[in-house]
Amino acid sequence: MLGFVLFLLVACQPQPREVTPSLAPFDRELPTHFPAFPSTPDNPMTQQGVELGRRLFYDKRLSGNNQISCASCHEPAQAFSDGVAFTTVGVSGRPLDRNSPALLNLAWMNNGLFWEGGATNLESQAFAPLTNLDEMAQDLVELETELKADPTYVQAFKRVFDGEIKVAYVARALAQFQRSLLSYQSAYDAYVEKKQALSSAQRRGLALFTTHCSRCHQGALFTDNLFHNNGLDDDFSDDSKEGVYQGRFRITRNPVDLGKYKTPTLRNIALTAPYMHDGRFPTLEAVLKHYATGVKASPSTDAVLTQNRSVRLSESEQQDIIHFLNSLTDYSFTTNPRLQNPF
Amino acid sequence: MKSSIITLLAAAALLSSCSQENEVSPAVTSGSADLTFDAVVNDADFTLSKDFTISGTTYNFSTLRYWVSNLKLVKANGEAYSVPNSYYLLEETKEISVQDGSFKYPARKREQIQLTNIPVGEYTSLEFSVGVDSVYNNNLSLQAGELSQLNGMTNISWMWHTSYIFSSLQGSVKQNSTTKTLKVETGLNTNFKSVKLTLPQALKVSSAAASAVISTNVAAITEGVDVMTTPSVGAAQGDVMSKVASNFSSKVFSVKSVN
Ligand code: HEC
Ligand code: HEC
Repeated sequence: MLGFVLFLLVACQPQPREVTPSLAPFDRELPTHFPAFPSTPDNPMTQQGVELGRRLFYDKRLSGNNQISCASCHEPAQAFSDGVAFTTVGVSGRPLDRNSPALLNLAWMNNGLFWEGGATNLESQAFAPLTNLDEMAQDLVELETELKADPTYVQAFKRVFDGEIKVAYVARALAQFQRSLLSYQSAYDAYVEKKQALSSAQRRGLALFTTHCSRCHQGALFTDNLFHNNGLDDDFSDDSKEGVYQGRFRITRNPVDLGKYKTPTLRNIALTAPYMHDGRFPTLEAVLKHYATGVKASPSTDAVLTQNRSVRLSESEQQDIIHFLNSLTDYSFTTNPRLQNPF
Repeated sequence: MKSSIITLLAAAALLSSCSQENEVSPAVTSGSADLTFDAVVNDADFTLSKDFTISGTTYNFSTLRYWVSNLKLVKANGEAYSVPNSYYLLEETKEISVQDGSFKYPARKREQIQLTNIPVGEYTSLEFSVGVDSVYNNNLSLQAGELSQLNGMTNISWMWHTSYIFSSLQGSVKQNSTTKTLKVETGLNTNFKSVKLTLPQALKVSSAAASAVISTNVAAITEGVDVMTTPSVGAAQGDVMSKVASNFSSKVFSVKSVN
C-alpha cells in the first residue's frame, strides 16, 4: 500500500522522469580513479534505452538518402572517430569543416559538445548531424514516418519511452547509447589500479605528461572540459563560414575565446588520427612537435604554453610522451560487443 | 480494510495536491479566453508580399514567426495565473524551405491562442516572453506545449549552436535601386526577454467568452537597426540581435482591445 502511495507521489511530479519499472537501469562498475557516473534525471539511462540508441546509431535510415548512419563518421574501431581530417561521406558529399572527434566518456562532458561547445547536451546535439545537409540531411518528419513503419522500433520506443515514436525520443535514445561509450580499461588504467606495469619509457612519458600536459588533459578523463587556445594559430581575422575559423568565439562572441577549442580526451588517441579540430596533424609526432616548438602566441593563447615560447621537450622526451599516450588505447572498448553494429 | 481506505484518501489528497502547479489555488470554476496577436505594420494590416515603407526603406515580407511562452495572467492584487505548458508558435508565413531548401514547411497563418481552464477572475495585466526559456532551449528533446523540432524553428542555419530560433522575420528590403534579402532572427538564452502589458480594462474570465487583441507591430521589430547595412541578423550579429530582442520586449507589442 505504501508503495502505491509512493508511486502516486512520483507519478505526479513533472521532473525528474522515473524509469518505467519493467526497464533495467544501466549501470557499470567503474574503476575508483574515475569520477562518479553522472545521473541524467531528464533522460534516465536504462539497458533497453541504451540498446535502442545503439540500433539508431548504426541505422542508415536515419539519413535522408538512407546510406549513412552516425557510425559512418564515428566508427568503433577508431574509438568512434573516422580517420580523415574532413570527411566527405555526408549526404551532400561536401567536406565538413571539422574533424570528427572520438566519442567516449561523453557522460561527463557537461560543459558543451562540439569542438567549441555549442551544443549543451547530447539530447540537443543529435539534431545537428541529423539535419545538416553535409551530414545526414534528414527531414525529421520523414524520419518519424520511416521509423514508425518498422514494428521493431514501434515496440522498442513503446517499451523505453512508453509512447509513440518521436524525434525527441530518437535524440534521447541516441544520448543514452552515447553515454554508455565508456573507455576505462587501457594499460594505463591497469597501471593505476596496480594490476599491470608500464614500460620505463611510458613511465618517463607519464611524468613528463603530468608536468606539461595534464593541466588541460586532466584526471582520469584526460580533459578539464574547458576551452583553450593551444597555439595552433595566431590570426583569427577570417570570419567566413559563420566564424568556423574563430573557435569558441563563435559561441560567446568574446575576443578572449578566439581560437579556443574544447580540450579533447586523449584516451585511445593512437586510434584517432588525424589530430586537432581540423585534423591538421597526421601523427602524434607532429602533435608533439607542435607543443615542443610550434606554439604560436596570440592574446588568447594559453599562458602555460607560451611562458617558454613552447613546452620545452627534447626529441626523446617527445617520444616518451608518445609511448605513454599509446598506453591509453583500450581495445576492450573498441571491440566491446555491446557497442558494435547490431545489424 | 481500514488501512486501505486511509491509503486511498491519502492517495486522493496527493493526487489533487499535485494536479495544480499554479500560483493561484485551484478555482472552483474556470473559464476560457482568446488572445489574438494581430500583426500590423504601424497603422496598416500586416500582409505578406506587399510593399510597406518604414522610415524610408521599402519592406516586403515573406515570413513572420515567433514563440510566445510562459504566459501569465495577473490580477490587480498581483496574484498571477501561469498558463501551464504555454509555448505557442505565432506565425504568418509563405511556404518555407527548411534545411536550405531540402524540405518544405507549408504556408500558414496563426495568430490566436485559446486559453482554457483559467481560474475565474478579473485580470488586469498580461505577461509573456518571446522565445524559449533556457530549460527547454538547452535541451531540444524536452517537450512542452507546441515546442517541436519539426517546424523549422530550431537553429538549422547555425546548428553548431543547437537551440531554438526565438523569432524570425524574413523578406526583402529596398532603398533606391538596391534590394537585399532580409532575414532577422533572434535566439540564445541572453536574448530571452519578457513583455508586460497592462490591460486598458480587465479581462473578465467567467462563464462568458473573454478575449483580448494584442497588436504585434512588425515595424518596431527592426527599429534602430540599419537593415540595408545589416539585412541578415544571426548569431554572428550579436549586438544587433540583442537590439531586436529588446525591441520585442519593449516596443513590438501593445494592447488593442479587451472584451
Ligand atoms: C558526416 C559525418 C558525421 C556524421 C554522419 C555524424 N557525425 Fe557526429 N560529428 C562529426 C563531426 C565532423 C563532428 C565535430 C563537429 C564540430 O565539433 O563542430 C561531430 C561531433 C559529434 C559529437 C560531439 C562530440 C564532442 O566531443 O563534442 C557527438 C556527440 C556526435 N558527433 C554524435 C553524432 C551522432 C549521434 C550522429 C548520428 C545522429 C552523428 N554524430 C553523425 C561528424 C559526423
Ligand atoms: C593549455 C591547455 C593544453 C595543454 C597544456 C596541452 N593541451 Fe593538448 N590540447 C588542448 C586543446 C584545447 C586541444 C584541441 C585544440 C584544437 O583542436 O584546436 C588539444 C589537442 C591535443 C591533441 C589532439 C587531440 C585530438 O583528438 O585531436 C593531442 C594529442 C594533445 N593535445 C596532446 C597534448 C600533449 C601531449 C600535451 C603536453 C605536451 C598537451 N596536449 C598539452 C589543450 C592543451
